[in-house]
Amino acid sequence: MFKCCLHSQLQFRSETSLESDHLMGSREPIVLMFLILISTYESSAKGGIAEELNEEFTEGLLLRPLPDRKVLAHFHFQSIVPPTRIYGRHHHLFPKSIYQLVNKFRVREMELSFTQGRWNYERWGGYDPISSSSAKPPGVELWADFDVPLDQVDDSWRNLTHALSGLFCASINFLEHSTSYSAPQWSFHSFAGKLRYGTLPREALCTENLTPWLKLLPCRDKAGLSALMDRPSIHKGYYHSQRLHLTSDDFGTAKSNAGTMLEQTLTVVLQPNTLGARAMVSGKTLQPSWSLNSLFGRKVHGKCSVSKSSNVYVQFEQNLVSELKEVRKKSEAPESGILIHDDFGNNTIFEMSASPDRVVKEVENLQKEDSSILLEFLVEDYNDSKPFDLGLRWKLPVVWSCQQAPLYASRFLMGSGNERGAIAISLKSLSSNNTPTVGCCEKGSQLRINIFQVVPWYVKVYYHTLKVFIDGELQSTMENIEKIHISPSEDKVSPGVMEMILRLPCGVITAALTLEFDKGFLHIDEYPPDANQGFDIPSAVVSFTDFQACVSFEDNLLNKLPILNELQERKHVISYTEVLLVPLTTPDFSMPYNVITITCTVFALYFGSLLNVLRRRVGEEERRFKSKAAKKKGPLTSLLSKLSAKLKGRPVEPPETPSTSPSLINNKLPPETPSTSPSLINNKLVLKVILVAGIAAGWQYYFR
Amino acid sequence: MAEISEAPSTLDPDFDQENMRKSKPGLKRLTLSLAVLFSFLLGLPFLLKSIEIYRSPLPFREIDDLSTAFESSPILFPCHFRAVFVNFDPNSYTADQLSISVQAHMAKFAAKNSLACGTCASNVTVSVTLDSNSNCISNGNNVDWKCGALNEFKFAEKHEDGLLDEYLASLCDNNSGAKVYTVVVVKTEQEEVRAVVGKYRHAWIMGRIFEEEAIEKIAEIFVNVFVNGGKEEGLIHGEFMPLGADGRIVLSFNLLNADPHNWIYDWDFQEIDENLLSPVIDALKPLADVSVESQVLYHTPKSSFSFWDDRLDSYIFSTKDLPFFVNSNEWHLDTSVAAGGLSKILQFVVYVPSAKECPLQLQLPNGEISTTNGFISPMWGGIVVWNPSACLMDSKIKHPLRYKISSEDSRKLFEVFMGQLRQLFGLKSDGLFVGASGTSILLASERGFSEWELDVLSRQHSCFNLLQCGTTLGSLSRLVQSLPRMIIMDDIGKQVKYSLEAARLTLSNASLGIYDASAESSRQARLLAEDAFYHPSMMSVSYYSFEHCFAVYSPFFLPVLLHVLLAVLREWKRYKQESKKYYAWKAKVK
Repeated sequence: MFKCCLHSQLQFRSETSLESDHLMGSREPIVLMFLILISTYESSAKGGIAEELNEEFTEGLLLRPLPDRKVLAHFHFQSIVPPTRIYGRHHHLFPKSIYQLVNKFRVREMELSFTQGRWNYERWGGYDPISSSSAKPPGVELWADFDVPLDQVDDSWRNLTHALSGLFCASINFLEHSTSYSAPQWSFHSFAGKLRYGTLPREALCTENLTPWLKLLPCRDKAGLSALMDRPSIHKGYYHSQRLHLTSDDFGTAKSNAGTMLEQTLTVVLQPNTLGARAMVSGKTLQPSWSLNSLFGRKVHGKCSVSKSSNVYVQFEQNLVSELKEVRKKSEAPESGILIHDDFGNNTIFEMSASPDRVVKEVENLQKEDSSILLEFLVEDYNDSKPFDLGLRWKLPVVWSCQQAPLYASRFLMGSGNERGAIAISLKSLSSNNTPTVGCCEKGSQLRINIFQVVPWYVKVYYHTLKVFIDGELQSTMENIEKIHISPSEDKVSPGVMEMILRLPCGVITAALTLEFDKGFLHIDEYPPDANQGFDIPSAVVSFTDFQACVSFEDNLLNKLPILNELQERKHVISYTEVLLVPLTTPDFSMPYNVITITCTVFALYFGSLLNVLRRRVGEEERRFKSKAAKKKGPLTSLLSKLSAKLKGRPVEPPETPSTSPSLINNKLPPETPSTSPSLINNKLVLKVILVAGIAAGWQYYFR
Repeated sequence: MAEISEAPSTLDPDFDQENMRKSKPGLKRLTLSLAVLFSFLLGLPFLLKSIEIYRSPLPFREIDDLSTAFESSPILFPCHFRAVFVNFDPNSYTADQLSISVQAHMAKFAAKNSLACGTCASNVTVSVTLDSNSNCISNGNNVDWKCGALNEFKFAEKHEDGLLDEYLASLCDNNSGAKVYTVVVVKTEQEEVRAVVGKYRHAWIMGRIFEEEAIEKIAEIFVNVFVNGGKEEGLIHGEFMPLGADGRIVLSFNLLNADPHNWIYDWDFQEIDENLLSPVIDALKPLADVSVESQVLYHTPKSSFSFWDDRLDSYIFSTKDLPFFVNSNEWHLDTSVAAGGLSKILQFVVYVPSAKECPLQLQLPNGEISTTNGFISPMWGGIVVWNPSACLMDSKIKHPLRYKISSEDSRKLFEVFMGQLRQLFGLKSDGLFVGASGTSILLASERGFSEWELDVLSRQHSCFNLLQCGTTLGSLSRLVQSLPRMIIMDDIGKQVKYSLEAARLTLSNASLGIYDASAESSRQARLLAEDAFYHPSMMSVSYYSFEHCFAVYSPFFLPVLLHVLLAVLREWKRYKQESKKYYAWKAKVK
């Protein structure tokens, strides 16, 4: 294809341009002409020939050393298919199931993520594009925007959750109930009314979710970069998030040629396997050295045959680059013009097992003279006999920190007991980093923060109790909130949703929001099997709308690689807070049976005794009892009767005397009662009390 | 016993205090206890009513009648046949004689293969027309054969079967709607006798042929081709027709590149879909709603082994390996989202072998190489191994090359797939019918299925739908009757009712010979029956068993009933005893 060879020529140009910067002057006219030629060719191709549109698949892997001795690996796969009206509905690369899903439910945009572990914003950074787009809340997060009439959106959502749960072997279908999803109005993404958002914080991620995800790739894990995905080494990482992002404009009225795009990313944070003790150089610990083989246990044997490009990138962050410069200045005699990218294969600080095919520098970072650097490695040139195994070995200790989000967001519960509590969202500025605040102050005097929070209905939040604390002091709520939208929860129907834009003064150190809530009661059928574990409140989404997480690279015009596009995409800085675990009052689940049994017993007792009373012949029984007692009277019975008489406060009636009047027997009260003196009662009462106390003491003593 | 009389002072020497009493024993307490007991017994039906489980009444008897009716006698359709004898001597046989002898022969053929489901009823009518140059004799009264029409057709000039087929179609095309199968026998001077079955509902026999021979041939074509669809033993039975209960089929075409490191093949499925598949889909429309989807998969090795054969100069896999050919671990053919519910998916796979097993050939049990290089798996679909032409070339290329299967090759592939699809439907794929009285040529339609074949399929489809409906409803009624504590919602009752109605409608349509309508209503009947059987509420509350109920109510009823019963017993005993005493006293006094 002509396009292909053009592409390689361009790459060649960009490679050569780096080495021969000083020659540019003489060559410039030629290159310019070439560029003009390309641009005219490309515009004609776009305008005229529709057949040029084709499906594309690209793969990429970004590796980044993290400050806390870990390594971030970010796999990125992208499939694009041109719109159906031009290209038809038969595909060669694009997964059939996803295409059918999009068409059946008319999904305009969708994002599904499965995450295990929590992204550590403090250590792994919160400002870069990867942490904004790939740091996801634990469990499953799904949002989708539909191109259907408003009244069908909920049906589409339900069907979609079922289809996805079948496709990914996960219990996404639990999101079908209206209590588990919400419709954010403006804060989450700006789609009017047709977006649905739901999370399952407790969904566990497993290989059975990864396999269907891999099935959507044309090469699965048989070839290409996805061959690195050795299940045990991926799942033992500190953070694991697989994501699927889908955009489609098949249904839009706009005649754009964007078509349907499926973006699949897998982000893992791995601990390099350092054998033995940590290497020490001059009293400081070295960063661990790693290679693809030591991280994943596998090597890359060439690219996936159908992918358009297959590159591996190693990114050195801005802070790391400046740190590297510092270290080099210290360790070496100051040379003229220290350029960090002069020799990446082997320098005094670190050593890479392969020399990069290209070095890309970030541009447009005006605040600092140092900018992050990407080393590009092309996998195409490797094959089975020469597998690609990138390694990084540190020679000198380097300490740096990641770029942080403007404010560090966390959320916690306050209060105790099973009745009520409060949710607090705290935003803390991390003192080590002051660039964002500088940026803020340049833009305006205020920092705008978008908070989106969904609370299940059984946590009944009182939104009027919303309090805003800035730097520890209670502030007026209305002054600090620019815009707020609340849809209160409805019992067993819908969760409570809170969207707000918070306005904080510049230079704020801490800010906190508190909301009080009551804990509701669930019906016994609504409790999950492990009710005593507690209930999850999904993560809140905190986005900093004034800040764009993007890295722009030089010569991005020439080489449109999806993985770089993802980094360059302008997005708000987003962070997710923790998932909260609320313990609710859990009933005794055998309670219904107990209630039934005890009620029935009480009824039965009542009924039986009533019946017995009705059919009792009192006079006759008394007579019979007496005659019986008169007939045979052992010493024990007489003693017992004496005792009972004593206790009753009645003199022992001689059983021999037959009572003449039945009325006397019927009378329950002892005949002497009216005539007895109060002292006698007192005496007997004291006796009784002593007896009971004695029995109690004995009980205590013997049965303890 | 002790003294219990109330007046011990009246000392009567005759009065035995222990065994006599003067007053009549009271009835108060006895009536009370009995009243309580009876009120309990009266309340018992109300209790049972209150804990009753709702069961919509199902027409069990009608279901049983229906399923036994299906089992005892297969559903048969009335068919109309017509034989036209052209250029025969009208004096040797009359039309009636010919008709009777054709019927006799047909009965003979029909007796050979037992009455299968969905064939024609035994009492067929054959109308015969004798069309000679001079006059036209018919035995039926509704024969609309245009006499002498065939003479206008110049046989000598046009040897093409297709043209004659179209010409006959225009002749036989009657607008009355009834489907008449016609065999035209033309007596010519040619030695060779040719029998051709056309794409519509007619066949013709040409050559030097005599009446007796012609009659036998006609009867065979009628019975074995038009009625039974030219099937042979060993082909797929009609019961396993790959049609979903909702009458939908999804044809899923897959191109599998076993190892994309060697080469990557692609196809232009859009073109195939538009040019080759859409006529077939249109043709099948009265029978099924067909949808088509496609995908290309990579890294999909087969799971059976093949070996190199020097003589054939290729890798060989034999018919023994076929069960292991499909590699369900690596072939993610996937069910499709579009085919929800009860529709049927047929997978058609083009397997492009990798360089280390190329060319790959299928060896038949007789040692020959299969010409199609493909095979079918009933109810699953078909597989064709397609060997790329670049096979023998040097495959030591660093980067795999991308090719496109040429349109000629894809046309060939789809011819094989059409044959496989026909086989999956139980039809013949080779275009020849070998009967007892010679071979007939079956003209292949460009739409894949000729009209008489569709008739056969539609008859069989409605028949097996009804059978399925009968068995489903039968098992539903057995299940419902075996589980007395199962809730049956009104929905299920309604579905069963409608299903039975649709089944009856099918029967009446079938007896009238309306194939399409009967296929439609039979599908409806089966769909409703299966919906009822797989209704989500079906097995849901059967957990509320009698034991459960007993456990809930026993804490109340056991103690209470014990009290009541004991009270009644005691009172009754006492009453008897006391009344005995009273009578004893009475006797003494007298």
